[in-house]
Amino acid sequence: MSIDMSQFHQVFFEESAEHLAEMESLLLGLDVAAPEAEDLNAIFRAAHSIKGSSGTFGFSDLAELTHILENLLDKIRKNEIPLRPEMVDAFLETGDLLKRMLEAHQGGAPADPDAMAAMSLRLQQLTDGAAPVPEPETVPPMAAPAVPLTVPAAAREDRAYRIEFIPTAASAKEGVARFIEDLRQLGRLKTLASPPADAPVGFWSLRLFVPVLPESVGEQLDFIAESDAWRVEEEGSCRSDGEEVFGFFADASGLSDDVRGYGFFDPPVFFDPLSDPLPDPLPEAASIGQAVEEAYGFFEPLPEAKAPAPPPPAPVAAAVQAPAAAVLPSAAPAPAQAAPGKPAAPKAGVAAGGDSSIRVSVEKVDQLINLVGELVITQAMLLQTVAQMQEAAPERLVNGLTQLERNSRDLQEAVMSIRMLPISFVFSRFPRVVRDLSAKLGKQVELKTLGDTTELDKGLIERIADPLTHLIRNSLDHGIESPGERAALGKNPCGTITLKASHQGGNVVIEVGDDGAGLNREKILAKARDRGLQVSGQMTDQEVFALIFEAGFSTAEQVTDVSGRGVGMDVVRRNIQALGGRIEIESMPGIGTRMTVRLPLTLAILDGMSVAVGEQTYILPLSYVMESLQPAPGDIKTLANQGRVIQVRGEYLPVVVLHEIFGIPKAVTRFTQGIMVVLEADGALAALFVDALVGQHQVVIKSLEANYRRVPGISGATIMGDGHVALILDVPAIVAMGKQQLQKAA
Amino acid sequence: MEKMQGFSQRSEEEPASSEFLTFTLGQEEYAIDILRVQEIRGYEKPTSIANAPPFIKGVINLRGIIVPIVDLRIKFHLPEVEYTPFTVVIILNVASRVVGIVVDSVSDVIRLKPAEIRPAPDFSASFDTRYILGLATLEGRMLIVTDIEQLMLSPEMDLLDTGN
Repeated sequence: MSIDMSQFHQVFFEESAEHLAEMESLLLGLDVAAPEAEDLNAIFRAAHSIKGSSGTFGFSDLAELTHILENLLDKIRKNEIPLRPEMVDAFLETGDLLKRMLEAHQGGAPADPDAMAAMSLRLQQLTDGAAPVPEPETVPPMAAPAVPLTVPAAAREDRAYRIEFIPTAASAKEGVARFIEDLRQLGRLKTLASPPADAPVGFWSLRLFVPVLPESVGEQLDFIAESDAWRVEEEGSCRSDGEEVFGFFADASGLSDDVRGYGFFDPPVFFDPLSDPLPDPLPEAASIGQAVEEAYGFFEPLPEAKAPAPPPPAPVAAAVQAPAAAVLPSAAPAPAQAAPGKPAAPKAGVAAGGDSSIRVSVEKVDQLINLVGELVITQAMLLQTVAQMQEAAPERLVNGLTQLERNSRDLQEAVMSIRMLPISFVFSRFPRVVRDLSAKLGKQVELKTLGDTTELDKGLIERIADPLTHLIRNSLDHGIESPGERAALGKNPCGTITLKASHQGGNVVIEVGDDGAGLNREKILAKARDRGLQVSGQMTDQEVFALIFEAGFSTAEQVTDVSGRGVGMDVVRRNIQALGGRIEIESMPGIGTRMTVRLPLTLAILDGMSVAVGEQTYILPLSYVMESLQPAPGDIKTLANQGRVIQVRGEYLPVVVLHEIFGIPKAVTRFTQGIMVVLEADGALAALFVDALVGQHQVVIKSLEANYRRVPGISGATIMGDGHVALILDVPAIVAMGKQQLQKAA
Repeated sequence: MEKMQGFSQRSEEEPASSEFLTFTLGQEEYAIDILRVQEIRGYEKPTSIANAPPFIKGVINLRGIIVPIVDLRIKFHLPEVEYTPFTVVIILNVASRVVGIVVDSVSDVIRLKPAEIRPAPDFSASFDTRYILGLATLEGRMLIVTDIEQLMLSPEMDLLDTGN
């Protein structure tokens, strides 16, 4: 059975990236003084999963680094070493390095081997420097509940373990030497068989006397030998502990597989097969069956029948049971039939694992969205046809179509939500950025995020991350003052950067605000003059601030490696413009700076109210709509014979007549025959006059700019149920246009 | 693509010919590069856009994308502009944008060699000669070979955001 491993590579890359991201977020949330055991375990599991799968796929550099990382993590999680802040830093940096290495394997720039060596050394030092004292009493807590028997006193005595392996060529010399050295530290070691010195790739057989065999032995073995070319067994027991046996035995098929790489060597401690009574064979068989089921099917489930045949001793059952209580999805089964030296790695375990999600290409989702859109339109056409048949339409047909309408709407909604992701996907990376940078710059900064659940298109999420990172770095470096300066100014020494996302008028608005020094108008102007830009003292603040987006513009007194080289802000603006968005700056000296990024939602869903004007239908974003009312004669008053106002509950609101602004023919012109929609835009109220209200919809915002251009007063377009295009009104712009018209008339 | 490779092999002896779609606007016949044509469809009433120039009829939904429709007949000041069931819209792909143009009728797909396209005399007409690649003759009829991409992207078409 030969399996093309490369087909799994993409899955491996994505999965590892996910594990890294998870590890990072856990690390950032970790309380160094009193880390949660659960978090430490989760971090360990993430590292372990990466190690396991990278080893399986032959990415030995990744596996090596994660191995060292894992060792340290393991010691921490077992309370052998206290967690220290520099360890968290080292872990985070290791995560970054691993990310780069992953990218390198994906065809990116090759990772720096020096960086890897340096990181390995650093992790190793952290591990060694903390003087690990292996305590035999320390047993993983999760193993305990699965073991119903009490620990026999005999467990404390030295036991003989036989360790056999055939090293890989790469590690035959140094790797083995180091391994043997490590074993000597653990206990008495006897070499039973070793290959001749001139052919180091050969069979090794060692006997080690220790009270408990640490699980790290298995992990080390994993490094110096292919996973099916080594075994560890306790002498005196008729078989091994069941975990690490395969390859050598034909009958070691499925039952040990899901356990592999998980390394619980403890069961033999509890089960002395000679002194303990054998458990009832029935539950034993059942547990093996269960393990086999979890060991995902590379082969038919025949091991179930096969398992009871060679009666496995108690340790097998225990070993199978214990890890089953804490199943890891990354366990890499290696069927005995698999080509030797090439452990097979089905990813079925992942699919079966708890988090049920699948990866689908965005293209497929887009196609689905468009197809469902077509379906809804076809359905609407059918419904219309039936409506035209009036009485002639059979009732069952009408009922069926109504049902279809509901179903297809639900379907459309569900499909559309696939592409939308909360902005927290982007925001979640910034705590790390802020943490690293503030440490580097010696500043105290707190990051606040608001509107994490604001949904926007996946494509935007991916492309907005870089510009936002730039803005945050900029705020941190230039905006927030040092704690000393802040204290002198009477500010809280800890600065605040606020990230806020919201939907506004068919845009996603993301604000990056800081309570720092603010932009210095004079400094910017002086710098602009230095650079030969056309500036004058009469420019508005807005215009002056916009200068910082010019290429090569930086007012930082000191060029740091964070920012100040004058690249960045112009790139930020370019990137945002490329997304069809824009960026604005507001700043107050001494109070702070706020950068506002407005992005169009190429595919956001908007709650809208459709209104009719003449033969046209427009969508009003519901978030602006306060109420609607039918004006009575005399409700509309004029101001200086020009502007019209309407009195609503004691307040006079300016009237904006949509058909006048848009020049729409055949619209209702008498106010008493139409509807006034009271809108709130930019904090002010206005009444929009339209012919009629049509209905309320959830609409998909489509960009008008993709194939056409921006239209004043229109923020986007959408496709209505009948397949026609309806334009979405840009309420603040419409209200402003109404005012302008008034001014022109006056 | 296969066809094009066929051309390039032949081009050792003679310059490659390319395919053009011809359509009529009033009395005139135009030819445009067929590679710019995405599809041809019947006219459906578009959603009009406020304050847009009259030749921009509005936007339609083309399988989920919003496509502006330009009536070239209005743009070229043809006297009679009617919308009948036979009115045709050519959907173009220009500069990775999708744009529809309304024409009187689509005639044919023809093949022209560069040598067959003669330079047009330079005179100021309603139609800027900048967008005319040349004139060709087909069975005694004159074809105006148009650079439709340049025409569509020109500022006077008003299809792009100005200033970008």
